[in-house]
Amino acid sequence: MSDIILSVENVAMDFDGFRAVGGEHGLSFNVNRGGFLGLIGPNGAGKSTTFNLISGVLKPTQGRVAMNGVELSSLKAAEIAGHGLGRTFQTPRAFPSLSVIDNVIVGSEHSEEGPLAALFGRWRPADVELHEKAEHALERVGLADRLHDSVANLSGGELRMLEVARQLNRDPSILLLDEPTAGVDPNLQVKLSEILVQLHADGTTLIVVEHNLAFLLNIADSVVVLQNGALLAEGDPDSIRHDPAVISAYLGADHET
Amino acid sequence: MTVFFQLVLTGLVTGSFLILATIGFSFTRRVEGFLNIAHPELLGVSAFTTWGLNVIWGWHIIPSAMVGIVFTAFVGLIIGRVVYDPIRALGPAILLITSVGVHYVLGGSVDAIVGTGIRSLDIPLAESYRFWGVRITNYQMIVVVFAALATVGLALFLNKTPMGLAIRAMSANPELAASRGIDVKSTSRITWLISSGLAGLAGVMLAVIATLSTDIAFNQILQILAVAILAGLGSLYAVVAAGLIIGVAMDVSVFWIPAGYRPLVAFSVVILVLMFRPEGLAGKKSR
Amino acid sequence: MTIYAIIIATLTFGAIFSVLTLSLNLQYARGGMINFGTVAYFAAGAYAYAIFTQEPPSGLDQYRFGFDMPWYVGFLAAGVASLLFALVTGWPTLRLRGEYLALTTFAFAEVFHSLLLNERRIGNGSVGLANVERPDPTTLGMSDTVGYALAAVVLMLVTAFVFNRLLKSPFGRTIDAVHDDEIAAQAVGKDDARIRLQVFIISAIPIGFAGALYAMITTLVAPAMFTAEVTFFVWIALVLAGEKTIVGAILGAMALVLFQELVKGVPFETVRGAQIAASVEEIVTGILFILVLRLRPWEKLSKRNAS
Repeated sequence: MSDIILSVENVAMDFDGFRAVGGEHGLSFNVNRGGFLGLIGPNGAGKSTTFNLISGVLKPTQGRVAMNGVELSSLKAAEIAGHGLGRTFQTPRAFPSLSVIDNVIVGSEHSEEGPLAALFGRWRPADVELHEKAEHALERVGLADRLHDSVANLSGGELRMLEVARQLNRDPSILLLDEPTAGVDPNLQVKLSEILVQLHADGTTLIVVEHNLAFLLNIADSVVVLQNGALLAEGDPDSIRHDPAVISAYLGADHET
Repeated sequence: MTVFFQLVLTGLVTGSFLILATIGFSFTRRVEGFLNIAHPELLGVSAFTTWGLNVIWGWHIIPSAMVGIVFTAFVGLIIGRVVYDPIRALGPAILLITSVGVHYVLGGSVDAIVGTGIRSLDIPLAESYRFWGVRITNYQMIVVVFAALATVGLALFLNKTPMGLAIRAMSANPELAASRGIDVKSTSRITWLISSGLAGLAGVMLAVIATLSTDIAFNQILQILAVAILAGLGSLYAVVAAGLIIGVAMDVSVFWIPAGYRPLVAFSVVILVLMFRPEGLAGKKSR
Repeated sequence: MTIYAIIIATLTFGAIFSVLTLSLNLQYARGGMINFGTVAYFAAGAYAYAIFTQEPPSGLDQYRFGFDMPWYVGFLAAGVASLLFALVTGWPTLRLRGEYLALTTFAFAEVFHSLLLNERRIGNGSVGLANVERPDPTTLGMSDTVGYALAAVVLMLVTAFVFNRLLKSPFGRTIDAVHDDEIAAQAVGKDDARIRLQVFIISAIPIGFAGALYAMITTLVAPAMFTAEVTFFVWIALVLAGEKTIVGAILGAMALVLFQELVKGVPFETVRGAQIAASVEEIVTGILFILVLRLRPWEKLSKRNAS
């Protein structure tokens, strides 16, 4: 039974009259619950813009995005995140005022508590459960020994992993990762692919933008290829590997390796 | 109905003055990239320099005004070079806050030198002319003429002279301008001279049409901000429309509500603009 | 003026303005919001206190409302008034950033000032409300000035404590996250607009209380007491102290008030002499302010200590 968790319908995005995503008729694709979708395409194909449209950072010029049947276009990015959508960014984003572990804890549901709880509630500065959970998330991405470090001391790859940990810690039902392997050293990449496989096995829906196709096509179960903001091809990794349009547009020599 | 048209006309004069007072402020915002809260204090510097030369030293008004304007231009230049240039890298917010400090220094200096009390220039009484029932004085006409000259002059300067084009290039993209061989330092110097000189001209106009007291400069900041915001921060030509709109709105409001509410009218306009159209009349997002 | 009197005055007014710098510190250093209309919240508190505690209008009074309530009701009303004013001004404007927010808050404060000045039914217009009711500290066995100095210090300490607790809490973590990177904060479900509004409102409440206390101490509220100069004063105090810390916000306000009291304490033979002294005080304050912003000595100091 294929149950659709996320549907992108005829979506288009214009910047100053330039159509970044959508092509002529708008972009449409569906993501199955528990699926693992790879989103690929050459630079400037509109992958990150598509992520921004799904996560509510941008509002589409036309079309709709729905998650679990709920139309997202009227929701703020924060509300969409609250509905269980997690994402990372192409350029990693960290909170420099916070330590590594606080960067992760800040995303957990508990700290949603507002100002009244802060003033009158019985929070403790170091909540054991929250810490343990965040620590576990950081352990998974290989940052266990950096808990109290300043994020200023992390490398680009480590910042990416920190972002992944922040999202893991929130247990999102659907997780969007934007180029998770860029700048990440090979050992960590292996770790990352294990994490993704594990998340997939646990039933988390994954959408991953990636240039490292060797990494992605081995673990994804379906692929959407974008070119110039429009859908070029859609299918399972094998058929994409052999799709002539995809090869000529994008894979080229890379594919042979 | 004549009263109403009289108010409209007075409003246009007020608006012309506001254009003069604001255009230098907007020019600074456009080129130097920040809101110079101390700009109105330069009006005070100019007004009181002119007054000092004219009344205390007994000079004729024209040389007094010219020296007042040039002096103010150089005061502005020195402040720009000494205070703002070294901290430009810290961003517009810090520059804005710093200009509050400059406001204190300038305001305090004028206070210390001039002292409190109400003053006026030693010039002939205004003569009024009557057209279709509404009156305008010769001094009011001078304000309108200078506002027009200053605006057209600045526009010609920015569009027709090499230095003006360099300033425009610099305000659009400082790094690119520098890499294209534009002398950023001298362009910035000219900018300070022009914007402060315009403040100087506005200060002289203020001295001509109003009586002077040392808090007069600060009272202008409110209206200058109102005009600059309505125009869209940093845009120059929209200042003309915005100045006239605010001037007329303030003066005509007296027709219906007490005169004390004039500033309130100006600021209600500001709040509405910021809430519904923060980019102002110019319509270009300057953020 | 004796040293004792200077100390008491510095403590009293220093503590009151510390409450304002503490609030600004929360809004600006932690929340990233430039509030250039601080005085309006202060005035809202002072007027609310005066209106709630004064007797109903009679005779020549032009004001419309006087509820003749006990001082503590007025004090609470001051906090509520400031909160409501923050809600009204913050809700539409907080989507604006940086200098735009600075300008809107400034504009709101000017409109409010203009209303107080021109609308005689609120507080007698420019005349203001005199003989503001207040509790008498001598019933507790303290002299008047000591009693109010103590009250101001207590208000300051409570504000500092509450803000400190707020910033150390999970909510404080969220505030920092939103300040650092609102897009990333949204991605973990933080509604940055709402959090900014919450910070804005919370930090306005103590300003209202401070306004009430200020009204009690001066026994007068009039528009002339609540000009933009108050806002600038508080900003200068905050910047002098080097932003970011609670202790710094307090020390900055205390130092600036002490400086003013010292200048006031110098005896002058002539009115002109006093005038010049006041102007020189302004000039020196301005120069200090410019120098601190330029040289940022406190930041360098804290960096040196950290490393």
